[in-house]
Amino acid sequence: MLTVLVSGLASGALLAAAALVYNVMFSTSKVLGVTTGQTAMLGGVFGAWFMTRLHFPVIGALLGSVIVGAVFGLLTDLIAVRRVLSRSDEHLWLLSTLALATITQQAVALWWGTEPLPFPRIIHQDFGAGLLDQKYWLPVVTALALAAALELFYRRTLYGKLFLAMSEDAFAARARGIPTDRIRALSYVIVGAMGGLAGFMAGQLTFAYFAVGITLSLNGFIALAVGGLGSNAGALVGGAALGILSAGASYFIGGEYQNTIAVGVLMLVLLVKPAGLFGAQVARPV
Amino acid sequence: MPPAADTTRRRIAFGGVLLLVAALPFWVRNPYQLHIASLIGVYWVLIGGLNLVAGYAGAISVGHVGLLSVGAYAFAILAGPHGWHPALAVLAAGALGGLCGLLIGLPSLRLPGFYFAMSTLACSLIIGELALAKQNLTGGGVGLAVPGFAAPFRSARGLYWLVLLLAGAVTWFTWNVTRRMWGRALIAVRDSVIAAQATGVPILRVKLTVFVFSGVTAGVAGALFGSLQSYITPDTFVFEMGLFFFVCIIIGGRGSIIGPLIGTAVLTALPELSAPLARLSNFLYGVLLLVVVLIAPEGIGRLLETSIARIRGQRPTSLPVDPDLRRLAAAIRSGHSP
Repeated sequence: MLTVLVSGLASGALLAAAALVYNVMFSTSKVLGVTTGQTAMLGGVFGAWFMTRLHFPVIGALLGSVIVGAVFGLLTDLIAVRRVLSRSDEHLWLLSTLALATITQQAVALWWGTEPLPFPRIIHQDFGAGLLDQKYWLPVVTALALAAALELFYRRTLYGKLFLAMSEDAFAARARGIPTDRIRALSYVIVGAMGGLAGFMAGQLTFAYFAVGITLSLNGFIALAVGGLGSNAGALVGGAALGILSAGASYFIGGEYQNTIAVGVLMLVLLVKPAGLFGAQVARPV
Repeated sequence: MPPAADTTRRRIAFGGVLLLVAALPFWVRNPYQLHIASLIGVYWVLIGGLNLVAGYAGAISVGHVGLLSVGAYAFAILAGPHGWHPALAVLAAGALGGLCGLLIGLPSLRLPGFYFAMSTLACSLIIGELALAKQNLTGGGVGLAVPGFAAPFRSARGLYWLVLLLAGAVTWFTWNVTRRMWGRALIAVRDSVIAAQATGVPILRVKLTVFVFSGVTAGVAGALFGSLQSYITPDTFVFEMGLFFFVCIIIGGRGSIIGPLIGTAVLTALPELSAPLARLSNFLYGVLLLVVVLIAPEGIGRLLETSIARIRGQRPTSLPVDPDLRRLAAAIRSGHSP
């Protein structure tokens, strides 16, 4: 029973991290990129590659994963978001990020292979630690640290305030002299770094596996929709709830029904409270 | 050139193409090419229906592969162990596909674009999960043998003609729909939900109707697909396949029927040309989608149309809106329509 709770919390923390990534992306560009899960996937795969093939020390591999994630984030903005946002078709960014996510996933499948490979230990620890094993608490600590860092960033730094201004009204922000293109590029670099870090820290849970990205994009989004779009606290709560529910469902009903449960939860929450638990209510235009 | 001659020429060309396609089993060089042609037809039965949803109504559904697998499994189970007549089983597969479309569409079509896309993706994953879990019904990961059709359609040629017939029916149906009021309503929904709603288009009903129709065609396509492949497993219906259907429409061009048809034919046949292409096919679909979205969001069909017009030296015609202002003002003043 405790195992279910702990493992659910750990996988939920990864979903919460993905939901936080969605939040930052949405704040500056009003885009919910399908590439979110791929940044974490890249963090996991490149982390394993740096450590097992290139024999980097842990710190080096961690930095490497974060840098790979940040570069991927920047590329996402340059390739899939910047050109598309200048057109006023609201669905195009969904298509372009979906295309980029597919390209990334297939490229990693061709380069890394389609088998999930084990992720090496990050901290030296005995395998008999049970529930105190690092693969459980590392993702949780990472998600909490990311949320706290974001909160500090938004409240204490000028750039954080610029992000908030852009999320409130991008046109007004531009009119006040904020270089919105540059701020958005910065936000995508941050997004990529966050995803890379989360993927690296949760690598022992997900393994270095090319297909993690698409399910993570989906389940991270479900966590976000349950918690409420735009709310970091909602992202943490939604991620934890979804993770524990999925783990409980696979323990009590059977592992085959994980997606079914997750989507059932999403539909239920959206029917009862369309804005999510912590989201802001939006008025209907007509 | 007078318009009458133009129409006649167009009819002759259309009839010629139709004859060539119908006589395909007699001029292909080997059975494998016939198989590919049938596969294109089967995909088009699904994509023709999906085109109304994705191309016209602008709802991004990447999960139609789930409905395809529902149809395939329904046909395999009903026509196999239960011994139904294949024609009846196809009808049942279509009905079941439509029902699943209704169940999926009813909650998810109310949601905005990204939420809807994610719901359809999730639904296709769920259906794959259930197909794997319900072992006594679907055979689990081992899969299921699919029976063929009844006598006249049992052979490869017969199946091809059946597929052609159904694909033609879907094309004819969607063509009729898109030319009339319904098609206008769908395009209005795609281009601006708010404006469509304000002019009295019942958004949910319009979207739901075409979504259920696409579910029916997906179910029928699933039955044909299963029969064509003769063996199905949950691994047949991967997420990339749903993406493939969608890419065919986007590459062909939204709001057109001939564009997605050509897209389907080219993208299905392309990986069969050589082995390295088949290995890279999913990667290439991603690249193609990205290139089309960035360079020609209207689709390659529209790009060709405009470039042909430019080569021929035709200027783009503008259609100025010229309302009868005096009559309009009088109508407003008197308080009712003239």
